[in-house]
Amino acid sequence: MDLGSLLNALILGVSIASIWLIAALGLTIIYGTAGVINMAHGEFIMLGAYSSYMLQFYLGLPYLLCLPASFVIVALVGLALERGLIRYLYNRPLDTLLATYGVSLVLMQGVRLIFGSDPKYLAVPEMFQSNVMLGSASISAFRIVVLAITAFLVFALWLLFYKTRFGVQVRAVMQNKEMAASFGINSGRIYMMTFALGAGLAGVAGALFGVLAIVLPTMGASYVVQAFLMVVVGGGSLAGSVVASGVTGEMQSVFAFFTNDTFARFIIFVLIVVFLRFRPQGLFAQAGARR
Amino acid sequence: MGNLYHNKTAQWLVYAVFFAGFAIIPMTVDDSFLLNQLATYGVYGMLALSISLCWGFGGILNLGQGIAFGLGAYGMAMTMQMQTQDESNPIPPFMLNNSLDHLPMLWQPFQNTYVGMILAVAAPTLFCAVFGGIMFRARVSGPFFAIMTLAMLSAFYTIIIDRQPYTGGVNGLTPPSSLQFAGFEVDPYSPTAYWVVFGFLLGATVIAKLITQSSFGLVTQAIRDDSERVRFLGYSVAGYETVIYTVSGLIAAIAGCCWVMLVQYVSPAQLDVGFSLSMVIWAAIGGRYSLLGSILGAFIIQGAQSYLGDTFLATWLLILGGFFIIVVRFLPNGLASLVESGLGLFAAKRGPASAEPNGDAKPIPAE
Repeated sequence: MDLGSLLNALILGVSIASIWLIAALGLTIIYGTAGVINMAHGEFIMLGAYSSYMLQFYLGLPYLLCLPASFVIVALVGLALERGLIRYLYNRPLDTLLATYGVSLVLMQGVRLIFGSDPKYLAVPEMFQSNVMLGSASISAFRIVVLAITAFLVFALWLLFYKTRFGVQVRAVMQNKEMAASFGINSGRIYMMTFALGAGLAGVAGALFGVLAIVLPTMGASYVVQAFLMVVVGGGSLAGSVVASGVTGEMQSVFAFFTNDTFARFIIFVLIVVFLRFRPQGLFAQAGARR
Repeated sequence: MGNLYHNKTAQWLVYAVFFAGFAIIPMTVDDSFLLNQLATYGVYGMLALSISLCWGFGGILNLGQGIAFGLGAYGMAMTMQMQTQDESNPIPPFMLNNSLDHLPMLWQPFQNTYVGMILAVAAPTLFCAVFGGIMFRARVSGPFFAIMTLAMLSAFYTIIIDRQPYTGGVNGLTPPSSLQFAGFEVDPYSPTAYWVVFGFLLGATVIAKLITQSSFGLVTQAIRDDSERVRFLGYSVAGYETVIYTVSGLIAAIAGCCWVMLVQYVSPAQLDVGFSLSMVIWAAIGGRYSLLGSILGAFIIQGAQSYLGDTFLATWLLILGGFFIIVVRFLPNGLASLVESGLGLFAAKRGPASAEPNGDAKPIPAE
């Protein structure tokens, strides 16, 4: 057993985990606040990747500016979706799942009609193209950037939810919508903003994924199931999603080290089923969380 | 006389007319390809029916019905594959290409046609019973259960692609000749194959209908509407949920077997997330609270797909997605609810209706 390559696998695990985490955080925020199961989240990720591609390809925007731009673009798409469709479906969680699946079909096919099915590539920014040595393991600088961005996003979200007035209102609506409303909190507005925020996070995730993988109209589908599993295992809370993504991402890459990638995914699925048998509420169940 | 839609006798009468209409099709249609295609619609109808039973009546949204369908299909394909292998040469060609020198344990029971066919139905059913049992006893329900079925589906999808020497990988299995059963060869383009499929569809529909009308079905519908109250009344909610989920899986497994009999082919595409979600779309558009509505939903959508799909190949999914959004938003109980309200208007005109909700399609408040 080569220790260096195991260390490599462990470090790779952290970066897999951070990718899953950004996708899962957006879902968690949307689900945790409004109880909406957003099946179009994968397509939001895809839209984020395409917006970054367009900004880079047509406007020549530097990559680090594409990230916030993708956030804004996809957040606006999310806002439009929430106003146009989702707000009529609150309190019908299964119907939000179905309606957003319809949305995902439309988005996927729409993008395919506009851009075609051929893969697009986001260039790795030049300054992150080098490799960094960590002991005997070598890791690409871009993966460290991904980690840094994830850490920044988690910290920013923590600040937003626990240190601002908006965060207090969101948490109040999460725990008891009627009570929050009677204190003058406009829950409709909170739902709208959290949906846009979650969508925007998916946009950032897409801009990051776009560099590590190929940009395709169908790319969203492969991420959304994984991201949902993180929400389920985490129990629908932010902290739960962070821990769940970390643990499963790490386990995935260690199993993959001993077997292969697809088999590792299968093992993870089985372990999650067994885990839910003993802890159906997830890692950190949220007070008053809907399920 | 109330709303005719809720009249049990009327419902059975509609079923009789519907199935009688389909039974006489082979006597009037000569086109064997069309017959084969209509029979595949029968398979889709079975799948939509299984979703309606599980989701409409049990309140369990199953996004992974492709597991039962796919495993049933693989079991049947393995049986048919082994029928074409003789004793001296028991290893299918694709395994030789993957340099296997003996028949894997997994494949050995399929050498016997009857054992193989029983396994093709029993294995997915058993899987549903175990998986459903674990999940429902842990009180995983609603959207979380839907997500778990979705995850399980993609787990099976990846594992089938990964274990190429045993499953044929992405290529799947293509048994070279049609099913031989009890000395006969079942030609997939013959009226016999058509009648077999519609026989199963009829049987599944009648059994599903009887289940929903039984006291078991009544409790299941009560669980759908308020599982906590039913639990407090002392019923084993998990037990009821597991049974309805397993029956639904059984129907899907039979559908999988029929499907392979008709098309002589199976691949991981049958376990694709998109396919399982389309089953849900059929039931949702047709009307998940109505068994017949779901079946018709499958016919309408798949029919539209094969006739419009060729011309609007690129935009079809766009249209389907848009239509689906509209149905969920404005017609949550599907097209069948249009019939229901139409007949309700008719009843209202004829005088005061005696409020006598009967049969399977009570007006249900959106969840």
